[in-house]
Amino acid sequence: MGGAVVDEGPTGVKAPDGGWGWAVLFGCFVITGFSYAFPKAVSVFFKELMREFGIGYSDTAWISSILLAMLYGTGPLCSVCVNRFGCRPVMLVGGLFASLGMVAASFCRSIIQVYLTTGVITGLGLALNFQPSLIMLNRYFSKRRPMANGLAAAGSPVFLCALSPLGQLLQDRYGWRGGFLILGGLLLNCCVCGALMRPLVAVAQPGSGPPRSSRRLLDLSVFRDRGFVLYAVAASVMVLGLFIPPVFVVSYAKDLGVPDTKAAFLLTVLGFIDIFARPAAGFVAGLGKVRPYSVYLFSFSMFFNGFADLAGSTAGDYGGLVVFCIFFGISYGMVGALQFEVLMAIVGTHKFSSAIGLVLLMEAVAVLIGPPSGGRLLDATHVYKYVFILAGAEVLTSSLILLLGNFFCIRKKPKEPQPEVAAAEEEKLHKPPADSGVDLREVEHFLKAEPEKNGEVIHTPETSV
Amino acid sequence: MRALPGLLAARAPTPRLLLLLQCLLATARPSSADGSALDLPFTSLPLREEMMANNFSSESHNISLTEHSSMPVEKNITLERPSNVNLTCQFTTSGDLNAVNVTWKKDSEQLENNYLVSATGSTLYTQYRFTIINSKQMGSYSCFFREEKEQRGTFNFKVPELHGKNKPLISYVGDSTVLTCKCQNCFPLNWTWYSTNGSIKVPVGVQMNKYVINETYANETKLKITQLLEEDGGSYWCHALFQLGESEEHIELVVLSYLVPLKPFLAIVAEVVLLVATILLCEKYTQKKKKHSGGNFLFCFLYRKSDDSNGIENNVPRHRKNESLGQ
Repeated sequence: MGGAVVDEGPTGVKAPDGGWGWAVLFGCFVITGFSYAFPKAVSVFFKELMREFGIGYSDTAWISSILLAMLYGTGPLCSVCVNRFGCRPVMLVGGLFASLGMVAASFCRSIIQVYLTTGVITGLGLALNFQPSLIMLNRYFSKRRPMANGLAAAGSPVFLCALSPLGQLLQDRYGWRGGFLILGGLLLNCCVCGALMRPLVAVAQPGSGPPRSSRRLLDLSVFRDRGFVLYAVAASVMVLGLFIPPVFVVSYAKDLGVPDTKAAFLLTVLGFIDIFARPAAGFVAGLGKVRPYSVYLFSFSMFFNGFADLAGSTAGDYGGLVVFCIFFGISYGMVGALQFEVLMAIVGTHKFSSAIGLVLLMEAVAVLIGPPSGGRLLDATHVYKYVFILAGAEVLTSSLILLLGNFFCIRKKPKEPQPEVAAAEEEKLHKPPADSGVDLREVEHFLKAEPEKNGEVIHTPETSV
Repeated sequence: MRALPGLLAARAPTPRLLLLLQCLLATARPSSADGSALDLPFTSLPLREEMMANNFSSESHNISLTEHSSMPVEKNITLERPSNVNLTCQFTTSGDLNAVNVTWKKDSEQLENNYLVSATGSTLYTQYRFTIINSKQMGSYSCFFREEKEQRGTFNFKVPELHGKNKPLISYVGDSTVLTCKCQNCFPLNWTWYSTNGSIKVPVGVQMNKYVINETYANETKLKITQLLEEDGGSYWCHALFQLGESEEHIELVVLSYLVPLKPFLAIVAEVVLLVATILLCEKYTQKKKKHSGGNFLFCFLYRKSDDSNGIENNVPRHRKNESLGQ
């Protein structure tokens, strides 16, 4: 029975690893770009909003916070929707929401209305787009998945470089209302990306009915997977410190006496390096020898990032900060490219839709605490060094959690040397047989631990033909 | 009272008289060697009464020139309130100090009295004291040292300038907007708003509820315009009145109708609808083609599978292998 799963037709569940997958990758690239770059693009309008509504800077900063909260915090909701309705309908609806939020915001008369429209509605729309796009990417790519993840993640820095100047241009030409209206139009392109996400038709397995019906709406059994728990904890701690340096590096430079334009150039350097670091990291993670150890590569990239933060805290002049930005950009790109790839490798396709929602929810708390706590520390001490040391410490801690956790906790499981296969084994052992049909377990096992990547065929009862 | 220049103008005084004068100057030389604080060597000079009796603040400014100064030296001074002003120019030369002609001018008008000249070593000092009470006394004050070449130092007195905003303010029909004028460290007596009608500046009156002027702090003023119309767009000026003059700032207001951003928006919506329709139609077409065509062996396999009654998966690899070999 198992042999058939290996040699399914092209319309089966086997990942195409190309073909229409490139269109899916393009859609994922665009949506990743919108999701990460949009909060930054909206922030160029803050000064005008302050003038229009007579509010202070901290009131406008709430818009970014609400956007991020919706992007990360609605993870499980998105998982439920995807498991119930499928990826494409959810993405089309998400694109409409995101666009509608901005269009409504252009007619707002008070800042609270802006919070609700730009913050809540657009945030929800972007979240409903972002998660399913990753899920589809996971389904379409298997052998080339790390590369695909790296390329899709490169959307974030590319759009960051493009959307902020565009936002400024729109504001100068049309004011903030016209700017919001046109940004709403641009977000409608997420619907185009959603349309690209052609569902992979699973060939009906005779005698087991449609596979979907037995899947739970939100699969909390991922928490029984140690690899997943470690990843989720490490990712949450990492996110506490990951976003702090880009927020504060320009002010740090100005504090050292660097003129404004030169200070702003630091972020350009960071973004530029990030654009190339992401696909490169994806390529490295996809190499045959590296792929089984992608978790370790991920924890190394976190370590590199934390180390760069600590080294950057000692920077005393502009040159030091440029070097910091270069190394931070490389490590930031590595982290960005690998974070979802590693999650996909740990939990596998079947559970990815639920797992990513849960991870994003856990990260939501951290992402809302992280940069403001850095700001508080800065207000209290007025020394930028401490902020960078804090960020570095947080990211280093997360790297150690992941590294040591995987090294010790996963390895303790009987005999298997590779972490992913061990996790798969353990997961299979723990799962009660009556949970779902035999076919599903085969599918899951196949997709989770591809034998060719480990260099050997794992002999288990299911795979022996 | 002029010292040396006056004597020089009296046409070739005798060398003995000059020597006597120089001796007088030498004895009356101030004790401080650097010459920065210029004591009056001429105690008989009558001081203006205003300078003694008023309680205005004092301002002192200094310009140094040498015979080799290639460009005129200028100093910009911002003044908000009436003050007693003390301007000093010093001129260093290797030549003969007696041969230097010292004059003061306000703008281009020569000043007749109230400036003093003295010399220390190779440096010539001249000092001009006056009081600035109103805008008439504002302007440029220059000291001239004429040898073969004329060296010039200028003090420019100006009222504080207002913050300039370069970008126009964009608003929409039916909306309301606030124009703000702010002065960094100054406190004008009065603020006035003007709008331009053609090229004429018309003061903004507080009519109905359309214009509301709000001045919560002394150094800023806000003009709120409600129920904007397209005609309300244009140049607005805010005037800050000081005791010593006026300062103004220009703000450009642009009022757009909602149709202006709507056009690009609708263009983008049309593009999105077109792309989505194209993608979905292409997909439907490809699926239909897959269902009806029999050319490809894979499609053939599907066709066969639907024919096959048992569809046992174990047979599939062998089946397909045969199929591919058969092609």
